[in-house]
Amino acid sequence: MKAKRRVVTAGTSAPTPRRTPTVRKLKSAFVPVASRPRASGPAVAAAAPEEADARSTSVDLTVDLGRGLVLPNPILVASGTFGYGIEYGDVVDVDRLGGICCKGTTLRPRIGNPTPRVTETPGGMLNSIGLQNPGVDAVVEKYAGTWAGWRVPVIVNVAGESVGDYVEVVKRLDGVPGIAGIELNISCPNVGRGGLQFAIDADAAAGVTAAVRRATDLPLLVKLSPNVADVRPIARAIADAGADALTAVNTLSGIAVGPGRDRPLLGNIYGGLSGPAIKPVALRIVYEVCQVVRIPVVAIGGVTELADVLDFLAVGAVAVQVGTAIFADPTLPVRLVDELAATCRDRGLAGYRPLIGTALPNKAAAPSSKGVEYRP
Amino acid sequence: MRLVGAELIESREILPGQWLQSYHAPALATGSRAGQFVHVRTGDLSGLVLRRPFSINTADQATGTITIHFRTIGRGTEWFTHLRPGDTIDMLGPLGRPFEVDARSRHLLLVAGGLGMAGVRYLADEAIRDGRQVTLLFGAASARDVYPTSLLPDEIEYVVATDDGTMGHHGFVTELVADYEGWADQAFACGPEPMLRALARLAVGRRGRLGVAKLGRKRGAGKADAPSSPAARRKAFLQVSMEQRMGCAVGACLGCVVMTTSGTPQRVCREGPVFGSEEIDWEGGWAR
Repeated sequence: MKAKRRVVTAGTSAPTPRRTPTVRKLKSAFVPVASRPRASGPAVAAAAPEEADARSTSVDLTVDLGRGLVLPNPILVASGTFGYGIEYGDVVDVDRLGGICCKGTTLRPRIGNPTPRVTETPGGMLNSIGLQNPGVDAVVEKYAGTWAGWRVPVIVNVAGESVGDYVEVVKRLDGVPGIAGIELNISCPNVGRGGLQFAIDADAAAGVTAAVRRATDLPLLVKLSPNVADVRPIARAIADAGADALTAVNTLSGIAVGPGRDRPLLGNIYGGLSGPAIKPVALRIVYEVCQVVRIPVVAIGGVTELADVLDFLAVGAVAVQVGTAIFADPTLPVRLVDELAATCRDRGLAGYRPLIGTALPNKAAAPSSKGVEYRP
Repeated sequence: MRLVGAELIESREILPGQWLQSYHAPALATGSRAGQFVHVRTGDLSGLVLRRPFSINTADQATGTITIHFRTIGRGTEWFTHLRPGDTIDMLGPLGRPFEVDARSRHLLLVAGGLGMAGVRYLADEAIRDGRQVTLLFGAASARDVYPTSLLPDEIEYVVATDDGTMGHHGFVTELVADYEGWADQAFACGPEPMLRALARLAVGRRGRLGVAKLGRKRGAGKADAPSSPAARRKAFLQVSMEQRMGCAVGACLGCVVMTTSGTPQRVCREGPVFGSEEIDWEGGWAR
């Protein structure tokens, strides 16, 4: 299968191929393939002349998520927390990020859920936006041109109500310059239809993954839900169906009670819990998933500092997404890139890969589902 | 929009549970307009993961200071009251779209309910600076919650209504509007949603009651302004500053929306917080 070329038209120069299409060979479950030489020259980070980037050049932070999607570093911003990449304006230099996952995109425009849509909870927040978005055509028209001028890969988060919806959205994204990959959101807890039912069943998850896989050559990430008893069969089914990488995890379903205690607070009643509060759950799921799949896992859930990044790497993730913490500190993701590079340098590492999977057991750990009493 | 460190200059409790704090933040003082807000980070990130939005209550370009006015309603606002002069906190701003005053408006009616004062207070300063006349109608539950006259410019007419009749008019602040709607060229309001809804209803019937269209509305009537554009808002008689629970405050998370008459939710942080009263769907039309 031919891998897509992502065309970058930054500056005044003519479009140049971003990376060489290559056939991917996975040797190990947890260690991504070493970075390959690119047609356009040295590593992505080194290609950037800015002084700011010089701090991370000596350490190889690139990460290969498969099918030609090579991120300049393993710190991404999570879907729903960074809009379409333009909202934070000058406050964040997006080209220093490892990747941007844009707001969940559906076939038709959605107005989303009634308000209130967000509330703070201990160590986290509940949100119930309900996938408000202008629809895939408007997203492509309004933002893809901007994305094509960025060095940072933009991964479009895709949601739908049916397999047909997902396929149609992905078809419309396929081949659009500026779109580096797809993150399949089969786990949104906040919409009546369109989401969660695909993520809680291995067959349904595999079905939608396979259908999307047939519709596009774009790199395909699939986002797992934590709202399941045992995530491993689902992760395995998605990997077998052709996903290039997994994202773990989406928000945990929860509610808050309104100030008068006469009804739940959120307009949609149910919301998704995110933030530091869910980090242990996310860690557990990444730990489990990394032992059963041979594709890269991108971790997400409560990252607020470098220690969180290192924890997720230790349980096998090759990259992490920062979400809720951006609201408090929009500059955090870029700072994490610098801090990760600095840590590697301090430890005398040429890259961050030795940090991956260090906390995983040598042989497969006992299934945590043995103790079903620990589960909801 | 900038991320700046703001140093606390002064903090005092001006009313029971209500605080007025002044911060040294020159970039925000010079770059902001009435109606805009700042998104402020709380100190304890492990427990509090969201910033808190505050209207820019006043801004003084000469000294590079801004003030915020808030009520302690939870752990976040409580945290701010424990700050000491010299402490520096992290502010993102100025955010949102400001009030738009028509150049021909001489008489501005400001209506504030409770903490809504923080939303329109800055506009009083701007209007006086521009030589306009300002009447400020203020509603509170009781005399003890009435914003002190000493914190307002001398040039404005300040009319108070209290729910329990302990000061000024006995009743809602919206009942005072009838006396001023003929005088006012434009009105600007911030406060609880029921108050804003009542004002919006009054504004709809205003032209009929007055029997005339004021402000030479024929000028420019031929070309339609884009909905929710500053130009369209400038022509609105009533502009309201809306409140909503907020996540990112830059338009990324879509948490803080209000439903508009066009059928699409608009972001309070980006398209707002100031809206023309006719833009808002006051019945909250999330037909499902």
